[in-house]
Amino acid sequence: MSGFAGWVREATEPSAAAGKPEALEGIRVLEFCPGHFGGMVAASVLAEFGAEVVKVEPPGGDPLRLVAPEGIRVAGTGLPFLSEARNRRFVTLDAGAAAGRDVFRRLALSADVIVTTEPPERMEAMGCDYPSLRGERPGIISLSLSTYGAFGPDASRPVRDSDILCQALSGGPHIVGEPEPEGGAPLPHQAPTRLGNWHGSFVQGLWGAYGVLAALHFRAETGMGQAVDVSGAESLMMFADYNITWMHTGGKARERVGNFDPAVFPYTYIRCRDGYTFIAAYNDEAFDSLMHIIGRPELSRDPRFSTPKNRVALGNERALLSIIEEWSGDRTADEILRAVEEYTSKRGGPGAAVVTGRVNRPLETLAEDHWRERGCFLRARDPVYGELLLAAPPWKMSGTPARWKSGCRPPGSDNRDVYIGILGMTEGEYRRLADAGTF
Amino acid sequence: MPSDPGGFRAFAERAFDPAAIPGKPEALAGVRVLEVATRIFGPATADYLGLFGAEVIKVEMPPRGDLMRYVAPEGFFWKEVSPAFLPLNRNKYHVGLDLHPAEGKEIFLRLAERSDVVVENLRAGTMDRWGVGYLQLRERNRRIVYAANSGFGQWGPFSEGRASYDATAQAVSGFSAVTGFPDQPPMKAGFWVGDYTAALMSATAILAALAARRKTGEGQMIDLSQAEAMIRTLDWTWPYAGVTGKDRERNGNVDPSYPPSGIYRCRDGFVAVSARDADERACLARTVGAPEPPESPSPSPEGVARYCASRTVDEIVRVAEEGGFSAAPVRGGRDHYHDPHLRARGTVCSVEDPLYGRVDEYGPAPKLSESPGRVKECAKPVGWHNEKVFGEMLGITGEEMEALARKKVIGKWADLPGARPPKGSAP
Repeated sequence: MSGFAGWVREATEPSAAAGKPEALEGIRVLEFCPGHFGGMVAASVLAEFGAEVVKVEPPGGDPLRLVAPEGIRVAGTGLPFLSEARNRRFVTLDAGAAAGRDVFRRLALSADVIVTTEPPERMEAMGCDYPSLRGERPGIISLSLSTYGAFGPDASRPVRDSDILCQALSGGPHIVGEPEPEGGAPLPHQAPTRLGNWHGSFVQGLWGAYGVLAALHFRAETGMGQAVDVSGAESLMMFADYNITWMHTGGKARERVGNFDPAVFPYTYIRCRDGYTFIAAYNDEAFDSLMHIIGRPELSRDPRFSTPKNRVALGNERALLSIIEEWSGDRTADEILRAVEEYTSKRGGPGAAVVTGRVNRPLETLAEDHWRERGCFLRARDPVYGELLLAAPPWKMSGTPARWKSGCRPPGSDNRDVYIGILGMTEGEYRRLADAGTF
Repeated sequence: MPSDPGGFRAFAERAFDPAAIPGKPEALAGVRVLEVATRIFGPATADYLGLFGAEVIKVEMPPRGDLMRYVAPEGFFWKEVSPAFLPLNRNKYHVGLDLHPAEGKEIFLRLAERSDVVVENLRAGTMDRWGVGYLQLRERNRRIVYAANSGFGQWGPFSEGRASYDATAQAVSGFSAVTGFPDQPPMKAGFWVGDYTAALMSATAILAALAARRKTGEGQMIDLSQAEAMIRTLDWTWPYAGVTGKDRERNGNVDPSYPPSGIYRCRDGFVAVSARDADERACLARTVGAPEPPESPSPSPEGVARYCASRTVDEIVRVAEEGGFSAAPVRGGRDHYHDPHLRARGTVCSVEDPLYGRVDEYGPAPKLSESPGRVKECAKPVGWHNEKVFGEMLGITGEEMEALARKKVIGKWADLPGARPPKGSAP
């Protein structure tokens, strides 16, 4: 690899990240998000950029540790928690008791950022809601994550925030999945369909981290902290394409169309010999390229397909899909990729915009050298949790690379470090509180 | 410790009031962003920065500009602009500039000297080949933060020449393999989630790089692959593969981490039912008439499905809120447009645009009490701000601009729906 790609590789090589400075060094984040995945994501993102994160769990451990799809636990902790428990210190604290509340407040007042998913009423009772904290620490940034947000007519609805609630409200599932049949009873899959991962929670955490970074930027300019309010439903909602502009300008709402698309076509998964692959060629020049690739150049002039508008009529999308699958059905995804690359490498500009990529099962992704070479996955090794396969931070950066530094540790592993090292407790105080069950 | 009068809820209603936003400062004021991008991944990245006050200059190839301009739902254009283009391009200056001729490159480099951030999403290495990549920009401006958004990254076996869209990332990452129903083909998300997710990650890294620049005085290069962004979101998929050696399966509409939480069909629509812990599961079991824990650890999805099928969405949400589990309706764009809660939060907001009049949009998701995000203006035709940017910012005279336009170095809109101004509005 030479030239620019070689330079970027050398400058961003993930295995060399450990020796480089970190973007958020010196920023302390207090994470108080029992049972909540989105809160963990927000803290993880900040931690991957170098913030020091202290996660507060109830004594005995965070309820999210018990969440275990297929019942799989490693040393008592389920895989969802293990996947996101990175780059942080793990302390336990009984924040419901008076002594614990006092410790929590001291932690909060030592932090630059507090991330919480607990109801505001609870934070108020602890004296740790934003208006209370800023009196003593005007620069503090307080991020709260919830389903509906902290204000507005629905803000007080009694729900325990979760991915499925956020997804449902976001408008995402409404436009994912197969439509109802023309007649007869719908089958179970002909329904609004959830994204299979916790995308709602993930994106909630990501917008939370983004809001915190914007607030940190503002604080660096002005010295002022602030409150940041993030609804998980609205977080994924921002990704729901042109829902509002189309309603406003055309009075139309997006509906489910399976793997078709109302604005661009071809832009779909097609059957191939070894499964499914993605194919897109939706502007006129690219569509013409694709028709050449599949050996049907005359179809570029077929009135059903000759304009973007005609191509996105649902009936024409269906017809075009079966034409393309006649070609793709006896080819592998790799053969399709090679055919596309061979043709488009000879054709620049908009005509080269034929895009494909195999619909990988996770193990297929793991088997591809590309991701391994780029350090996309890592194997964490820990005396308690053994070896775990994890997704690495996705950002390659030349100056202050994001990085994975440490994995999950048992609840309370860092109590001594944090309570004595950061809060400055004496050995006597630490022992007294530990003996009293405060942590 | 005294709290604000009325507690946090009252504080929040005041501190986040959308009506007060225009009078407040912007978080990213003073940050200038150059965008050289098409479709969604790059434009959305710059849009997210612009929502919080960065000044974004969108550089488009004249006269057609960003090909996203021609992506129109059902072929529908409104006032000559596609509703699909609008939400990706708020708060931007639009210039038409061809980066192929030497004079175009020089103008771009002069803009980069005065900028903090560059966002691009061309195929890997294209900007470098054109002589306007990170290494060339860095020579003129050590402080530049350069985000190279791409499908597969700037290096590695798949990086060369391979184009990528949202659904490439959905497909190759394993995301689609875990979405949908086990007895059905993998389901592509019907919205461009592989672009927006990666765009938000790119914007996040840009803010981190700006924080680093405060300390070092130097910018840096960010290489982000949208497939790798999606890989990062797949929670327990990867440790599961590591521990079991197996593929995580599609699980339909039931969340396998919190069964029977999921999406269920009701008499008049669909509802999400959620039970995150034992208390909520016990309440749900009681409600649907299933055996309660410890007799059974949780009610079955079939039991919840039967309960929901004969009831309305509102009824189930009410029962949940009274009964101690959680539920929310499955909503779509039409519901959002008319939702008083989203309007009160500025999540659905109205913009008074000087060119288009009133346009409603999704507003920014994170609400900041002191330096809130906002939508100030809508997207504009190709080259709409040439005079402002080339003239006012770079000091290029009107005559020079005419000469550059004759040589097609700079330019304005093609006479096409998607690129041109509303009828009767062109200057």
